[in-house]
Amino acid sequence: MRNGRFFVGLVGVGAVVAYLMWTGISESMVYYLTPSELLARIEADPAFRQVGVKVGGRVVEGSWDRPAGAGSVHEFAVADLENPETVFSVRYEDVLPDTFNDRAEVVLEGSFGADGVFRAHTVLTKCGSRYEAAKEELAA
Amino acid sequence: MTVLGETALWTALPIALWGTAVSFAGGRTGRSELVLSGERTAYAVTFLLLLASVGIVAAFVGGRYEYWYVANYSNRELDTYFKVAGLWAGQRGSLVFWTLLLSAFASIAVFQNRARNREFMPYAAGVLLAILSFLLVVLLFAGVNPFERLDFTPANGRGLNPQLQNYWMTIHPPTLYLGFTAFAVPFAFAVSALLANRLDSRWIAVARRWILLSWFFLTLGIVFGMRWAYEELGWGGYWFWDPVENASLLPWLTATAFLHSIQIQENRGMLKVWNMGLVAATFLLTIFATFLTRSGLIESVHSFAENLKIAYIFLGFMGATAAFCAVLIVHRLPSLGSESRIQSFLSRESAFLFNNLLLVGIAFAVMWGTLYPLITEGVFGQKINVGPPYYNRVNLPIGLILLALMGIGPVIAWRRASRRNLRKNFLLPCAAAAAVLAVLWLTGVRHGTALATFVVSAFVMTTVATEFWKGTRARARIAGEGHLRALRGLVRRNRRRWGGYVVHAGVVILFTGVAGSAFDVAQVHEMAPGETAAIRSAFGHEYRLTYESLSHSRPRASDDVPENDWRWTALLTVRKDGEHVAAMRPERRYYPVMEESSTEVGIRSSLLEDLYVIPREVDFDSGTERASFEFKVLPLVPWIWFGGVVVAFGTLVGLWPAAGAHSGVRAPGGRRRAPQSAPSGAAGRAA
Repeated sequence: MRNGRFFVGLVGVGAVVAYLMWTGISESMVYYLTPSELLARIEADPAFRQVGVKVGGRVVEGSWDRPAGAGSVHEFAVADLENPETVFSVRYEDVLPDTFNDRAEVVLEGSFGADGVFRAHTVLTKCGSRYEAAKEELAA
Repeated sequence: MTVLGETALWTALPIALWGTAVSFAGGRTGRSELVLSGERTAYAVTFLLLLASVGIVAAFVGGRYEYWYVANYSNRELDTYFKVAGLWAGQRGSLVFWTLLLSAFASIAVFQNRARNREFMPYAAGVLLAILSFLLVVLLFAGVNPFERLDFTPANGRGLNPQLQNYWMTIHPPTLYLGFTAFAVPFAFAVSALLANRLDSRWIAVARRWILLSWFFLTLGIVFGMRWAYEELGWGGYWFWDPVENASLLPWLTATAFLHSIQIQENRGMLKVWNMGLVAATFLLTIFATFLTRSGLIESVHSFAENLKIAYIFLGFMGATAAFCAVLIVHRLPSLGSESRIQSFLSRESAFLFNNLLLVGIAFAVMWGTLYPLITEGVFGQKINVGPPYYNRVNLPIGLILLALMGIGPVIAWRRASRRNLRKNFLLPCAAAAAVLAVLWLTGVRHGTALATFVVSAFVMTTVATEFWKGTRARARIAGEGHLRALRGLVRRNRRRWGGYVVHAGVVILFTGVAGSAFDVAQVHEMAPGETAAIRSAFGHEYRLTYESLSHSRPRASDDVPENDWRWTALLTVRKDGEHVAAMRPERRYYPVMEESSTEVGIRSSLLEDLYVIPREVDFDSGTERASFEFKVLPLVPWIWFGGVVVAFGTLVGLWPAAGAHSGVRAPGGRRRAPQSAPSGAAGRAA
């Protein structure tokens, strides 16, 4: 029993941390899907439409125009990274991140509206890969 | 220069491997020529890595775009300032930089201890050289060689990510790297203590400065990162629980736990296994941080491109190191027994222990949250993310208890606190906390977490202030000195203790600043030039912002080379409570080459709050120049930065050579004695 108190403390703190983690996860967990997975899910269960998800894909080239006006409603299409023919449209009503353009790899958070357009409340751009160009790109 | 650098990088690997081998052999056989050879290897590797780094910088400055790395992270238009920073702008260069820093620290550690601590040194040098060898293998064979050439020479590079074209880019990453790499030294001493079977607190005394040094840079690096993310739009404010931010926090948490738990070992001879575990865990977490940013396994705003090869190599190294440490600790278990035990729940030991368990608990929860997408993908085949609510849920209550412990730990007695000790030390702080609670409640503050933070902060600040006051008064009385002189003498006599108090005060200020976020105010306004918008802060100040005018530059179509950027800048004048206080120029730039924009927010700080202006969009087409802005008033944010400065200052106080170091024992040939003879019970004298 030399370390008895130590272990009581360890177990106690462990239990509290585990409880907080458990409740924290159940409150804030979000599915992170690819566009293909998301669309397949919805096909299987139309109610999944309203479930808030995170979805990662690439903005379809030419689907977005840099807006000239002061309004900030953005509409663009996002494709699956691996199956570029899987595409859905997105509507976002806030300022886009600085690194956003019409080839950017993005992670959206939101859910589908009744009109089949994905309402994103967050748009994050993944910049890492864009900065390491392929050799062909540099030659151009 | 660049070819020389490349040669140096290749030469460094066999030398580092040789050094590892002879150092371990020297440690086992005690043959001094082997030990000496190993030590000299450390200097040689540092020199070679310096050459390699200079080679990379030379390639950047000289515009050598035939190098893949240079072509990807700079272009002709980039300022020289950022070209030099190209050394750590991307994955490849920053690995070289990391290795360089590690080798420099290894050399310093070897040089400082070459004439003493003979039983540790060969092993410590061997461990450091082994880590260096690993990093060199990664650099040369994992497809991340910074000297890789393209088979053609591009006319120009691709430029640096606009978000990285910021002065913090030249400050934040190196600081963090210094913190990460410095921790390899205490780890090496820990392993050498295990290998040499010298498991009293000697190795801690030797490594203590290094732990503090690493902690200093880690803290500073994290705070710099917070400031950068605060200024940079799209990074979610100063803290976002992004995986890469978490990665830098994890070793900080365990290092903080370690800084406290070694005091128990030094004073009471307990927790030896725990300390070994913590030092190994912290070192592994510094590697994990590199791994997480470099492997791209976890989605993050800040991560480099995905490179699975690197991921596996790093995982292998971490696994091997963890297994090696575990075997070594188990092997030495008989020598790692406790010399005493906890006698009472109300004692400093148990406060420190509790602090340790909570810090490790937070680290575990943060790590779990960061890796959750990977875990769920592995177990359920489905990535599931957890967001900031998860981290807040876990860390707010635990953080509050830790905050309170900062007030309790330093003043409660070792072994067993008497009723008198408790009353004497905690009556006033409790009263101060109650007073703050009453005042805040009466002024209408009802936000639970913020209220709790302010109250606990008042408690801790009062204990720290009382300690300083008691110590100063006593010394002034005994020595007949003025109070200011007495304070200086007091701190000099035990820098570690009083520096620690200053650090605690800084952390309290920092957390008070974070709690201020409960009272943020934000509004979006669409305005025509000449219009004014008003926003009222939580402190009751009214800001009136007038959108005066717009200036912008569009690129000329005739230019051969597109302009590096074009921009629009809004001029806003700010009146605070009717008084003109500032003119702000928030700006958005557009980089045609990159097809990206960057936003310069306007920030106006005062003692209590920041006014934060985000330029959103401008209507150029209709000719009205109507613009939309987001205005925020963020209470207590300046306190976060001030708290960071105080923490850094307190750490420096603790790091400064102890009084008497200059007149003290001089090891033959050594410049300064190790701080090992500092009275170990000193921290306990307050009780």
